[in-house]
Amino acid sequence: MKTSIKKIVTAVGATTALMAAGQAAAEIRIGIAGPMTGPVAQYGDMQFSGARMAIEQINANGGVMGEELVAVEYDDVCDPKQAVTVANSMVNEGVRFVIGHLCSSSTQPASDIYEDEGILMITPASTSPEITERGYELVFRTIGLDSMQGPVAANHLASLNPERVAIIHDKQQYGEGIATAVRDTLTDAGVEVAMFEGITAGDKDFSSLVTKLKQADVDYVYYGGYHPELGLILRQADQAGLDATFMGPEGVGNKDINSIAGDAAEGLLVTLPPSFDQKEENQDLVQAFEDKGEDPSGPFVLTSYAAVQLVAEGIEEAGSKDPFDVAEALRAGTFQTPIGTVEYNQAGDMESFEFVVYEWHSDGSKTPVN
Amino acid sequence: MQDLLYFIQQLINGLTIGSTYALIAIGYTMVYGIIGMINFAHGEIYMIGAYTALITITGLTALGIVWLPLILIVALICAMIVSSSMGWAVERVAYRPVRGKHRLIPLISAIGMSIFLQNYVHLAQGSSNIGFPALVEGGFRFGPEDSFQTSISYMQIMIFAVTLVCMTVLSLFISRSRIGRACRAVSQDLGMANLLGIDTNRIISATFVIGAALAAVAGLLLGMYYGSIDPLFGFIAGLKAFTAAVLGGIGSIPGAMLGGLILGVAESMTSGYLSGEYKDVVSFSLLILILLFKPTGLLGKPEVEKI
Repeated sequence: MKTSIKKIVTAVGATTALMAAGQAAAEIRIGIAGPMTGPVAQYGDMQFSGARMAIEQINANGGVMGEELVAVEYDDVCDPKQAVTVANSMVNEGVRFVIGHLCSSSTQPASDIYEDEGILMITPASTSPEITERGYELVFRTIGLDSMQGPVAANHLASLNPERVAIIHDKQQYGEGIATAVRDTLTDAGVEVAMFEGITAGDKDFSSLVTKLKQADVDYVYYGGYHPELGLILRQADQAGLDATFMGPEGVGNKDINSIAGDAAEGLLVTLPPSFDQKEENQDLVQAFEDKGEDPSGPFVLTSYAAVQLVAEGIEEAGSKDPFDVAEALRAGTFQTPIGTVEYNQAGDMESFEFVVYEWHSDGSKTPVN
Repeated sequence: MQDLLYFIQQLINGLTIGSTYALIAIGYTMVYGIIGMINFAHGEIYMIGAYTALITITGLTALGIVWLPLILIVALICAMIVSSSMGWAVERVAYRPVRGKHRLIPLISAIGMSIFLQNYVHLAQGSSNIGFPALVEGGFRFGPEDSFQTSISYMQIMIFAVTLVCMTVLSLFISRSRIGRACRAVSQDLGMANLLGIDTNRIISATFVIGAALAAVAGLLLGMYYGSIDPLFGFIAGLKAFTAAVLGGIGSIPGAMLGGLILGVAESMTSGYLSGEYKDVVSFSLLILILLFKPTGLLGKPEVEKI
């Protein structure tokens, strides 16, 4: 029985490989995997819009090694189970380069499959350190790590001389990871962390939590997670008369938080990648997005654009479409992208990536704090 | 003093949530009481009620109507109408054709219905969280100015009041009205009621409709209280309400009320004194314990073997 299953698997594998070979001759398929639907689909829109723009522009300039890039898009709903299905579909479609995924908890299981199947993956959004900690050869990112973002947030909080800080997270890989990084840095800085507690993602009732925050008399609350929950916490805290300043990572920095929290979103502190769309050298690109009626200001638009560009330049540099050669080229080279100069270390992380603290306003705009 | 205020605050939080669990739980308990089946699509009907209310509120605001009571009443009526027709349709599509078959068949068809409705709203309204406008703001505060104050918002008072009114009306309806009497007859013995000239199909439809209308009330109230809705939020609320129904004794209307309140308070006390992470653990542990030690629930009558 075992051998027959093995045979079938081998046969299927071989067929897939043949199909892949057939397709690869005509074009280079770039997989884009992220949430098109689900609670964090807004971030997915940023990712798809950035990656599509890069593919379009690269093709307009003659493609990569004379071949056209073709996007293969899948929706993972930011669900780890769905991400695995998507990763398998990418394998079946013969995709060799993937831009994605978005949520760390999706990226991690998907990257196991990509690494095993020899697919190169660049995530434009996942910040969990674990993703690149496992010594994988084909996993890269165009964004910083929680271990960089957490300290930025914590140092900012510490500089405000808080009396008591509460840290809340959504128990997911991203949220809890960054919340832990913030707590560790705050503790090192000698700030009292009065509370460190998880909530359930998707929950709607935070009245008990808000009461608890009131009782603990905290003046700052850090939330590790995404905007749907923080929006509700802000709103319910405002109604209960909790007088504290909230802070969150880039997962909460989305205009949708304003539709949920309303005026309660005013004054929220958010750590975000710097506004790449404000940079002088990106103005042509920003114009191209605006001509298409798209908004390039989201935190993941230009990181996705850069990810596609890196794949393209990696292939050119390596002179080969083999993901292992491309990975080697990416680690060796220095690349100029809209998100700045990219150099990779052995793990697949960028040598440096800056996070900036912004103050969020109730109309969805933001102003840098420092 | 502070500890007491804190306790009272958590109690208020818990009773608010509990009341709405109770409103949703009625739908489970009535359907179970009458045909002995669990309507797993009920959570989705609640979600559709919330969406209808939001759409109505948005529409009315766009038309320039600002008088709050009018907005709330129109939204409530629209939500109840749409949810009731959904409840009626669910019964016609997913229950009536398979009634009298093996018990598992209607269960599966109800789960199918739930998945269908969830994805339908997903497609029609998008998958992201939609903010619900805060229409009723403000409230009372008690306690010292400079430290912890217990607050009860107008919204919370409204939730208690509406739940209380709904429950009273429903109890009176079941005990006094003709349809109510017929409901009780059908729940005692469906075959016999049929022989005595009660249109049992109509009565069964009526229970689905009543349950759905109350779920719509809960949808509007909770949408406003929490502040956002999404297509998936009916599922977990449905599970909680189902737990409440079983806890109080499924089939019993006062049981649904009691079960809802106990569950709500248990949840808020857990998050208040232990940690929010254990909230769901506690509520579902309660379900397991009650099923182990008192399977008929707190107010449920033990099943008498019918000869």
